[in-house]
Amino acid sequence: MKVLAKHRGDAVVVCALGMAANEWWAVTRSEDSFYMHGGMGFAASFALGLALSIPRTPVWVLNSDGSLCMNTGCLITEAGQQPKNLKHFVVDNQCYQTVETMPIVNQGGADYTAIARGAGIQQAITVDGLADLDRLMPEIVAAQGPYFVRLRVEAEPDYQRAPPANYEGPEMKYRFGRALEKKLGIRVFGPRGF
Amino acid sequence: MDVNDKIHAQLVKAGVRLAASLPDDWVNTLIRRISRDNQIHHVPVCREAETIAICAGAFFGGVRAVAIFGNTGLLTCTGEMATLCLRHAIPVFCIVSGRGSIDDHKVYQEVQGRRTIPLLQAYDYPFRIIDKEEEIEDIPNAYEWHRLQKRPFVLFLTKKLLGTAA
Repeated sequence: MKVLAKHRGDAVVVCALGMAANEWWAVTRSEDSFYMHGGMGFAASFALGLALSIPRTPVWVLNSDGSLCMNTGCLITEAGQQPKNLKHFVVDNQCYQTVETMPIVNQGGADYTAIARGAGIQQAITVDGLADLDRLMPEIVAAQGPYFVRLRVEAEPDYQRAPPANYEGPEMKYRFGRALEKKLGIRVFGPRGF
Repeated sequence: MDVNDKIHAQLVKAGVRLAASLPDDWVNTLIRRISRDNQIHHVPVCREAETIAICAGAFFGGVRAVAIFGNTGLLTCTGEMATLCLRHAIPVFCIVSGRGSIDDHKVYQEVQGRRTIPLLQAYDYPFRIIDKEEEIEDIPNAYEWHRLQKRPFVLFLTKKLLGTAA
């Protein structure tokens, strides 16, 4: 997450629920990131809707292998739109980290990068190490989307090492929405606040 | 101007600029009209719950969006509507075919006809059934109201309304 944050630039970030979201919060403390607390599998769809709505702003989704497995169709939908401003990162630790590191479905047997490419996302790569990620990030950031990056990481034995953001629910909505209004000069909420 | 043209026009009047959809016989004509409209960005999806998340994301981009699909799809995505939209108080405007009604004799729609409304009531998702043409003009008001409600809202279109288009 520290390497990703180093290369973030102006990107607005959508985090799937789970440890990737917690660790992104721990590293960035950023309110122009949305830390999804539900809708498992659908952070990528949420990020797509956001990316299509703010086409001049880079949007990243920090997805997880468990979430991707729950909604692999999101890759086909994403490919159908070819959003130039969307980068799709998948943190692949081959387990469900937040539920006692239970093994992922078909553990070790699914190639998410090949699935992304097969769905129609031409730029789809697997990154195995931090040094490689740091070296590749300028190219990934500069490239037009959609761009799919599978980040192969080791599972953490301590499954709750990083706590979640210290705000949630409706407050997440208002902090994120207000942050985007300020950052992008757009109007998310109406004149009466809803 | 037919019924689908009128619905389309009222969505534009409500400020809708993005539509995410999955086909259903009764709403396909509306989906086709919208897909031809350059004012509205159309996002075809693989499953209905994607429309909910796409519209939620568009909300934060300041873009008014609508999800369009069939009643069967509504049953499949009530969980995501709850854990994403109720959890974070995000409004999503859904237009759904009111399948399984007394004039819909497709066997694979009968459960939807009996259980959809009780399910929406259990989740406290507001809804409105439109079966008269003059009620289509309520769409801009319904759109504002669903934002105020801060939760998913379902606008059902009936076979009676859609007529031969269904």
